[in-house]
Amino acid sequence: MKHILSGAVFLIVGGFGIAAVSAQEAETPETETAAQEAEATAATTEAAAASATANEPASEEATDAADDTADAAPAAADEAAPAQTAAAAPVSASGSVAIMNGTVHTISGAAIENGDVIIRDGRIAAVGANLEAPLGAEVIDATGKIVTPGLFAPISSIGLQELGLDREANDAGPRTGFPLGAALDAQDAFDPSTTLIAINRTGGITRGLSAPEAGDTLFGGRAAVIDFSGEASSITKPRAAQTAEMGYAGARRAGDTRMGAWAVLREYLDETAAYAANPTGYLTRAREDRFAIADLKALAPVVRGTQPLLVSVNSAPDIRNLIRLKNAYRLNVIIVGGSEAWTVADELAAANIPVILDPLFNLPAQFEDIAATQAAAGRLHEAGVDIAFYNPQGFGAHNLRALPQLAGNAVAYGLDYDAALEALTLTPAEMFGLSSQLGSIEIGKIADIVIWDGDPLELTTRPEAVFINGEAQSLENRQTKLRDRYRDLTRGDLPHAYRGGQ
Amino acid sequence: MQKNERLNGFGARRAGFTTLAALLALAACGPRQDADQSGEDAGATQTAAAQDAGAAEQSRADDGPVRPPLDPYPSTYEPYPSETIVLTGATILTGTGARIDNGAVVLADGKIAAVGAAADVEVPDGAATVDANGKWITPGVIDIHSHLGNYPSPSTDSTSDGNEATSPNTAEVWTEHSVWPQDAGFTRAIAGGVTTLQILPGSANLFGGRAAILKNVPSRTVQGMKFPGAPYGMKMACGENPKRVYENSGPATRMANFSHYRAAWIDAAEYKKSWEDYWADYAEWEENGEEDEDAPKAPSRDLKKETLAGVLSGDIRVNMHCYRADEMAFVLDMAREFGYKVATFHHAIEAYKIADYLAEEGVCAAVWSDWWGFKLEAYDTVLENAALVHAQPNGCAIIHSDSDIGIQRLNQETAKAMGDGRRIGIDITPKDAIAWITANPAKAMGIDDQTGTLEPGKMADVVVWDRNPFSVYAKAERVYIDGALLFDRNDPSLSPRVDFEIGQEGNDFTGGAGQ
Repeated sequence: MKHILSGAVFLIVGGFGIAAVSAQEAETPETETAAQEAEATAATTEAAAASATANEPASEEATDAADDTADAAPAAADEAAPAQTAAAAPVSASGSVAIMNGTVHTISGAAIENGDVIIRDGRIAAVGANLEAPLGAEVIDATGKIVTPGLFAPISSIGLQELGLDREANDAGPRTGFPLGAALDAQDAFDPSTTLIAINRTGGITRGLSAPEAGDTLFGGRAAVIDFSGEASSITKPRAAQTAEMGYAGARRAGDTRMGAWAVLREYLDETAAYAANPTGYLTRAREDRFAIADLKALAPVVRGTQPLLVSVNSAPDIRNLIRLKNAYRLNVIIVGGSEAWTVADELAAANIPVILDPLFNLPAQFEDIAATQAAAGRLHEAGVDIAFYNPQGFGAHNLRALPQLAGNAVAYGLDYDAALEALTLTPAEMFGLSSQLGSIEIGKIADIVIWDGDPLELTTRPEAVFINGEAQSLENRQTKLRDRYRDLTRGDLPHAYRGGQ
Repeated sequence: MQKNERLNGFGARRAGFTTLAALLALAACGPRQDADQSGEDAGATQTAAAQDAGAAEQSRADDGPVRPPLDPYPSTYEPYPSETIVLTGATILTGTGARIDNGAVVLADGKIAAVGAAADVEVPDGAATVDANGKWITPGVIDIHSHLGNYPSPSTDSTSDGNEATSPNTAEVWTEHSVWPQDAGFTRAIAGGVTTLQILPGSANLFGGRAAILKNVPSRTVQGMKFPGAPYGMKMACGENPKRVYENSGPATRMANFSHYRAAWIDAAEYKKSWEDYWADYAEWEENGEEDEDAPKAPSRDLKKETLAGVLSGDIRVNMHCYRADEMAFVLDMAREFGYKVATFHHAIEAYKIADYLAEEGVCAAVWSDWWGFKLEAYDTVLENAALVHAQPNGCAIIHSDSDIGIQRLNQETAKAMGDGRRIGIDITPKDAIAWITANPAKAMGIDDQTGTLEPGKMADVVVWDRNPFSVYAKAERVYIDGALLFDRNDPSLSPRVDFEIGQEGNDFTGGAGQ
C-alpha cells in the first residue's frame, strides 16, 4: 500500500535481514518458555476460561495438540473450537429473538423471501418461511429488510491497534530489530475494548481474524479469530492461523531478493520439522543461532499442516512457488493479496488454495502487481478458487466496515452476487475451521446475524441490528457519540464538553 | 484575460502586461499559447515577439521593469477533436443542485451548448444523437487532492517524487516538475469519471510547494495536461507530519509549526513589498528620472518567497492539510494576520466541530467519507462529516481521495457520506451531493467558471454513468473531456494505456483504463 496519504510514507518500517536470536534466548529452557506462555494464555483468556467448559490450552504443546486434533479432522475441529465460543456466549437475558419476514440470505442455501430466523440461547434455533415466533420472544419485524450472517473480516490487525502512528496504541507488529516473529501471539495484545470494534460492528462486522504484522522476520505471528462484541471473552479461536510475508515484502526481510525469501521460508520449515521431531536433540546439537526456538515452536502446527499459513504474495511466479511449497510440505496455505492470482486461478483451484484479496486493487503498484485488475475476484471464483476480501484502504482494521463496498465493486466487475456474500461470511469461517459454527444461517449455528435496511453491498445501506452470539449489539460507538455531541453547534448554556457521551 | 489576471505575479501591477517583459513572462518557453485561453486576440504575435526577445536581458532599461515570469511552464493542452452530440434520455445531475429526469445535454465545440429536459432542448443541425436512456449524466469528477504522477505506479524510490521532506519550508518547489505523465493511475482515474485533478506536494512540510491542476488527458508532457488558465495552488500542512519530520532542526512542536509559518509570511510580505517598491520606483524613474540616472535595480528573485508572495497577493490558493478543529481555527487567524485566504482545508477530519465557522469564513473542507485512525489527529472523524459541513448555510463540502485507488470511485465515497447524512435527518440528495466532487472542488480550485457543472458555455467535461452513480454497481461508461470522447468502457480502442503498461507480460488481458 503506497501513499494512501502523503503522511503514510512515515509508516514504512525498515526491516531488512534475518532476525538473529541471541544465544541466551535460544537456550532459554523449554519448560520455562512453555510455562510463561501458558501463563500469558491463561491471563488473556481468563474470562473465557472462567466461563467453565472452555478448555484453554495449558501450554504451547497442548495448544499444538489441540490444533492437530482440530485440523486433522475438520468436522471435529469445527465442533471443538467454537465450543469455546458457545461456552463464552452469554445466554440471552430476554430469551429468544424472532426476526420475522425479511429476505434471509442463509448463504448455505437459497435466499428465503419473507423468511424468519429464530434465535435461542445464542444459537440459531430455526430458519425458514412462515415460522411462528416462540412465546415471549422479542419479535423484530424485518419486512423489507435483508438478513445475513454477520460479516467475517478474514485478516486485519483488529484489536491490536487503536491508532496507526502512535506506538503505544499500536501493537500490530514489532519494530525493526526485534528478533521474534512466528512466536508472537495476537491474543497477548488483543484488546476487546478498542474503539475499532464497536465502530466496525456498526457496519455489520461480527467476527474477524486478529493478525499480527511481520517485523524483521518473514512471520507476523499467531492470529486469533475474535468476535466483535467487545466482551472480555471475545476470542473465538486463539492461534487460528500464522501469517507470513512473501513476494517483495518478504524479499525485503531476506537479503532484498525473492530467492532469499524462499530460501529462508524453506529453512524455517525444515528447522521446525527438525525441532519438532526431536526438541531435546535439536537444542543440544551444534547449529546456527538464526532461528529462535520460540518461533520454531510456534511454527510446528504450520509444518504439520494443521494451522493455516496466510501468505502475502502477489506475482504469478511467487504464487506458483507457493503451490509447489504447499504440495512439498503439505501445508495449509491461504494467499493474502494475490494481485496476479487470477492468472494462475486453475492451478490454485487444483491446489485448493483460497485467496484473500482486495477487489479494488488494479494498479501496477509494483512489478509483482502488473496483472492487477478489479476483475480478479470474479475470475478466481469462476475458476473455483475460494475467495474472501480484505481492506488495505483506509488503514485496514479501522475500516473493515467497508468490506461490503469492496464486495459490491467485485460484483460490478463480474463476481456473482451470492458468491460475494459468501466471501464476506462463510468462506472466511471455512478458512479458519469454523464453518460448522459460523458463516451461515443454519440451525444450530452461532447466531451472528445482521439485519440491513437494504442491499448489504450498497453504499447507503447500513445495519439496523447486529447480533453476536445471539445478543443484540449496541450500534453506538465513539464516532456516533462525537457526531451527536457536535450535531448542534450553537452556543448552549454549557460548552460542548457537557453534551452527550455521559 | 482570466489567465493573465490569475497568474499576475503578486497582483499589484496588472498594467505591466503591456510591456515586453510581461509578454516574455506570459509566453516564456511555451511552444504554443492558446489564444482562447490567454484571452489575447493577438496571442500568436505576442508569442513570436516574446520568443524574439527571449535572449534579451530582462533588466534592460528600455524593456521596462523586471517582472518574474508568471507562467514559465505554460499549458500546452488543446482539446481533442469532438463532434456535436446530444446525449438524451438520461437522468442529469447538473452540479448546480438540479436534477433533470429524461434530460438532454448538447455538446458542441468542446463546450456544453445546452442542458435541459429532452423535450425542450434544441438539437443543433447535424448533431449526432446518443441514446442515454436509463443512464445518468454528471459533470466530470474533480479530485482536489491527488498524488497521481508524483507518487505514481510503480511505486519505487525512483518514482517517489511527492514529498520534498528536506526542509519545513519548501514553498519553492512546483510539483508539476515531479509529475510523471506515464502513471497508470491517470488511466484508472478516467475510468472513474475523473476529468480534472489537483496534484499536491507534501505533506511533510509546513509549506510543501505549488500544486498542479491537470486535465485528465493523457499526454507526453505535463504541460500537455495542465489545465489552461487554472490558478496555482500551494500546499501547506498542520500538525503531526511537519512536527515529526524535522525533530532535530525543528519544528518539533505545534507551536513551532506556527512560529515557522509566521516567520515565513513576514519574510514573504517584505519580499512582496520590495518588488512593489521597485516597480513604483521604476515607474517614477520612467516618469521623472534624469537622462543619465540609472534605472532602479530589481530585487533578487527568491523562488520560495515568490510563491508565498503570490499567496499574499491572492493569486495562489492555499490548500491547507489540517485535521484538527483547533488548528484550523488558528490557521484562519493567521490568514487574517497576514492578509491571505485559505481556500480549502484538506483531510479536515474535525471539520464538523467547526462547520459553522468554516462556512462563515467561506472555506471549503475536503474530507474522506470514512478514513480515520491512522494517527491521533485523525482520530475523531464521523461518517457525517461532509454532510454536517454541507448542512451549514454556505457550507462547502468536498470529498477528496489522496489515493490512487480512492480517486477511481469518488462517487462511491460521496454516496456513503450522503447516506450517512440523510440518516441523521440532513436533507441531501444526489443532486446536491454530486457537487462535493464537481462544483465545489472547482470553486475551491478557482476553475468553476470553466468546469464543475453542466452549464452552457462551460467545458464539456461530462460523465455518462450506466446507472445512478451513487450505487456501488455504477460504472462510468463514457467520459468526455472538452467534448472529446476519451473513455468508452465498451470500446477497447477508447481505453488509454500508459507507456509503462505497453508490452508487459500479460498485456493482452490487463492494463489500461477500465481494469
